[in-house]
Amino acid sequence: MVSLSFGEKVMHTIIIIFLIIVGAIAVAPLISVIAVSFSSRLPVELNEVTLWPKGFTLDSWNYILSRSDLWRSFAVTVCATLTGTALSLLITALTAYPLTKPEFKIRSILMVAIVITMVFKAPLIPYFLTVKAVGLYNNPLVLFVPHILTAFNLIIMRTFFLQFPVELEEAAVVEGAGYFRRLFSLVLPLSKAVLATLGLFYGVTIWNQFQHPLLFVTDPDWFPLQLKIRQYITSDNELPIVGSIAELNYNSRTLRSVTIAFSIIPIIMVYPYLQKYFVKGALLGSVKG
Amino acid sequence: MNKESSSKGLLCNVRRYWPLYLMSIPGIVFFVIFKFIPMGGTVIAFQEYSVFKGILQSQWVGFKNFEILFRSSDFYRIFTNTLILGFLKITIMFAVPIILALLLNEIRRAMLKKTIQTALYIPHFLSWVIIAGITFEIFSLSGIYNTIRDWFGLQPVLLMQQESSFRWIYVFTGIWRDAGWGTIVYLAAISSIDAQIYEAAVIDGASRLKQMVYITFPLLLPTILVLFLLEVGNFMELGFDHVYTLLTPMTYSVGDIIDTYVYRTGIQEARYSFATAVGLFQAVIGFILVMIFNKLSNKVSGEGLW
Repeated sequence: MVSLSFGEKVMHTIIIIFLIIVGAIAVAPLISVIAVSFSSRLPVELNEVTLWPKGFTLDSWNYILSRSDLWRSFAVTVCATLTGTALSLLITALTAYPLTKPEFKIRSILMVAIVITMVFKAPLIPYFLTVKAVGLYNNPLVLFVPHILTAFNLIIMRTFFLQFPVELEEAAVVEGAGYFRRLFSLVLPLSKAVLATLGLFYGVTIWNQFQHPLLFVTDPDWFPLQLKIRQYITSDNELPIVGSIAELNYNSRTLRSVTIAFSIIPIIMVYPYLQKYFVKGALLGSVKG
Repeated sequence: MNKESSSKGLLCNVRRYWPLYLMSIPGIVFFVIFKFIPMGGTVIAFQEYSVFKGILQSQWVGFKNFEILFRSSDFYRIFTNTLILGFLKITIMFAVPIILALLLNEIRRAMLKKTIQTALYIPHFLSWVIIAGITFEIFSLSGIYNTIRDWFGLQPVLLMQQESSFRWIYVFTGIWRDAGWGTIVYLAAISSIDAQIYEAAVIDGASRLKQMVYITFPLLLPTILVLFLLEVGNFMELGFDHVYTLLTPMTYSVGDIIDTYVYRTGIQEARYSFATAVGLFQAVIGFILVMIFNKLSNKVSGEGLW
């Protein structure tokens, strides 16, 4: 390594400090919300809480966590995410695999059809009416069924399958293994990397989705977490403050903060373990850019 | 080959390789229901569609819905808003990840670099509901923004309800959530640059700044160009969730875009045919942009969608 000149060292330090500040700004709002959620009412009302809780209390959390509708929404989202992710991977693999076989005669027609869906996007209303017509309106299945396949992920998985040498399956063919056996006991076990990455992306999509539930779920019993949170933070009536204000250790602001923190904390906790898969996925996507 | 023998050939093919066909059925059904039927359903843009009559019985009205759209005062507003936000997206919001990646590349300490990257990536995994929720908190009367204004003796302002600030909030929340994530592609492209080029430059006495300006950036240009064209192709996709969660009735004049307008007129007011016409108008412009993108991309990089 060549030693840097004085001017370059100064530049280097400025860049590092700048990026540390940018990184801090990116996470500060999240930390601040979490800090407010654990703070007492008075310091929050006096705007004293910045990045660390003041007058530490669990009162706001107790209030929110005692809401059964929130837990119900949480359960709905967890179930939709797990089922949806598993189903997405299965359907994506089942659809992608035949597309790698030259003997599959409708392969090129299907590829054209898939590309068409990427270029022509149907307007919202016909899509809405179709989904409604197939009985998914106010049906919890709508939380994951419309997401189980995307043309983009399908193409990524197909490309991944195509990397395997043809000889890989030849031995299995000689032993008389059919397509299903070859896919499930040979190809998929070797595709863990792409399955993990696509699975995470499907999972995040379902967990974070807002537009679909907004369109198709009007029954509060089936609200996923994002709709529930939106409902809590945009309407004060949803989080009524019962009792005399003076005695309570929370206010609507700490309650809103708990609601937001409730959905941030799980993500912050699992994120560091999954980062490497996400980064891989971001690059998978860009290859086909 | 005549038609009969080719269909016979297909039948033979199906009989012989039936597991492949069986496998692809769920996927085909999915694409037909969720992609192709809605595409066909777009014809209601030319009808006076009624849910009770259905597509077959509803009255055809030609381009009437489009006429209503182009004559309405709403059209000018939502179209301009869409264009302005789209422009901000492909300029400022597009440039930030490139700058961040170039700067991140200057950090040699692996631990520090990784920590900063992690901090920058996390917001990408929060939903727009959460991002908007936090943004409303920051700019609320008792939020951090007004607290800081208070330190300097300034009057509190409600930025989220101000027309003049909506677009900037759209830009900043977009950068906050996605700019860090956007650096990944560029960092990967930078790491694939041949180290010998830098070594040669160092021998010639090029400073780090000069290396960045004369080596890293030019070698990054093809990547930048391809991603830029892709963004142009997605010009009309401003993110319904992003805009909708930040929008308040006070900011409709500057923040109401085609997507949110379609939602309000189509879903909330149930003007199905009209909202489909609006959506079709958007889709046609989007399609033209994708075509242009693909043509340019093929020319520039030899690689396009097809």
